[in-house]
Amino acid sequence: MEKFTKAFPSKPLPTKTAKPWALAGVVGSGNLEVLLESGGRPKDAMECHVETSIPGYKASWLAALADFAHHYPAGGTKVTINDQGAPPVLVTLRLRQAYDHLTKGDK
Amino acid sequence: MSGVLFHEQTARQRIAALADAGSFVELLAPPERITSPYLAQLGIPVSFDDGIVIGHAKIGGKKVYLAAQVGQFVGGAVGEIHGAKLTGLFKAAARDRVPCILLVESGGVRLHEGSAGEIAIAETMRAIFECRALKVPTIAVIATDIGAYGGIGILSTCCDHRIMTEHGRLGISGPIVIEKWMGKKAYNSADRALVWKTSGGKTKYLLGDADALVHDAPEAVRDALTKLIGKSKPVNLGSVKARQKELQNRLKRFGATDDPNVVWKGMGVRNIEAASLASGPEFAALAKRGK
Amino acid sequence: MKKPTPKKTSARAVLARLFGASAKAIAIEKSVLTGYASVGGGKVCVIGTSNGTYIDNEAALRLAAHVIDCIEKNPKTPIVMLVDSAGQEPNRVAEMLGLASYFGHLLSCLELARRKGHKLITVATGQAVGGAFLCYGMFADRIYALDSATVGLMPISAMSAVTKIPAAVLQKLSKTMPSLEFGAAPFALLGGVEAVWSAKDDVQAKLEQAIATATSEDNRAELGKKRGGRKLALDIRKKVLAESAR
Repeated sequence: MEKFTKAFPSKPLPTKTAKPWALAGVVGSGNLEVLLESGGRPKDAMECHVETSIPGYKASWLAALADFAHHYPAGGTKVTINDQGAPPVLVTLRLRQAYDHLTKGDK
Repeated sequence: MSGVLFHEQTARQRIAALADAGSFVELLAPPERITSPYLAQLGIPVSFDDGIVIGHAKIGGKKVYLAAQVGQFVGGAVGEIHGAKLTGLFKAAARDRVPCILLVESGGVRLHEGSAGEIAIAETMRAIFECRALKVPTIAVIATDIGAYGGIGILSTCCDHRIMTEHGRLGISGPIVIEKWMGKKAYNSADRALVWKTSGGKTKYLLGDADALVHDAPEAVRDALTKLIGKSKPVNLGSVKARQKELQNRLKRFGATDDPNVVWKGMGVRNIEAASLASGPEFAALAKRGK
Repeated sequence: MKKPTPKKTSARAVLARLFGASAKAIAIEKSVLTGYASVGGGKVCVIGTSNGTYIDNEAALRLAAHVIDCIEKNPKTPIVMLVDSAGQEPNRVAEMLGLASYFGHLLSCLELARRKGHKLITVATGQAVGGAFLCYGMFADRIYALDSATVGLMPISAMSAVTKIPAAVLQKLSKTMPSLEFGAAPFALLGGVEAVWSAKDDVQAKLEQAIATATSEDNRAELGKKRGGRKLALDIRKKVLAESAR
């Protein structure tokens, strides 16, 4: 297992979200779960916590998360990830799904 | 029908599809981060719901307690937290006299947590029967390949009702375990037709161990639930004596065969090939006509 | 899964130790026990398994039939369940006929007995593992084990074989997590067993006491927390009950 934490600059999340938290994905082989929570501080950073079963890919994780924080106003959110070897494309998809659930509600 | 297949949905999607829109309230939700210390110690990824989503919702306006196991997470297996969530939910159902539904997807006890999961299953069985004594309906929905096996297979048979799809499987020992034990000749676990005729929804429905056999679609599962959430099956002397007779007859009639087609024929299926190809509800209709 | 190994102590010897001379009335047929005996002068119904036998569809039905007999003919008589079974044998025909439902039926019969005022006491006398323990023994009001009994999910070697986690790792963890350990004593730490009876104990007196003090309230989560072997279960359950009451 490898664990790391880092905050990325991001524009503040819209003040009104559909719900206080959202979860996307499932912890299973080649998959991950992303828990996204609003109400964090500071309002101009996305705080990330990653736990992955496949060590050695910290750089690509940080790149994916930085990219997401750059493209989406996610400031003031906390992202927590439990990963079981998901490919990068799935990481991005789950982040987006969690963000959509949080901001617009389910479905 | 939406075209969505129930067995392809995740636990959370299943709950969203079955519950009245927006009615689901999750208990011990992911932000509480209640995760397995056993898995963490073993260096295995944890999950914020520990492989089971629990809460309450409305179905057709009626309040229900609802749990959905996450088959992708350690096979939906029951560890200490997972099991305690389940026990607590059935106890809440008994306390509040509210029906309790379990969307099953589990191979049984989570070996990584040893006997704690086994005891949790036993405790949940007690809680299920607490509900039944109060005439609070308990329903197991078994609709995926992972199905209900091991202790969770036994637990499922403790509920008032079982709703299955043709995808669902119910048993104790799975095909791979049996193949290892008896040899490939006796049971080839790669023979899907044989595997499903041994433990699949059609055979279980035919024998009377499943109460409904429905399409692999959330709408169909929801319809079946709507019909059953108001009904409880009593556990009394009459019911257990009738069941004793039924299970005795079953063993007498079919105990000497190893051919599931003989069971199907014996239970009134006339055209095995047509029945094999039939959808769940078509099969149920055929079986009824056979009787 | 291991093939059943013959026990050193014979089934009759175990019965005699528990029920004295009254044990003679208990029938042993294909390692399945049914009958009536007496404990402290009071009548008890006995069901059980011996010789580490497998419990199959037929065995489950025979046990269930005896429970029904007891409910009908001997109202409120305590039921003593003895467990010495290696589990269910992986078997396709048993599965095809719905072994899980046979086990569920046995549990329903025991539940009916409980509701009708029969006390349910289990004594694990030999192997008490897997499905065989779940399908009747673990459903008692109170569960006891002889210290010679092997109680639990499975030995660490088997756990290691299935999970692919090295046995040494599991062994080391079991020092702080008794749930991973195999045996009556660690199972008691989890609350799964009320007490372990040693060879020196007067087990007839212990059994009499067990019947006298049993209540139908499931106390295993409380015990597990108190004894420190299962620290989370009770609090998680309470949390579900508290959050759902809001």
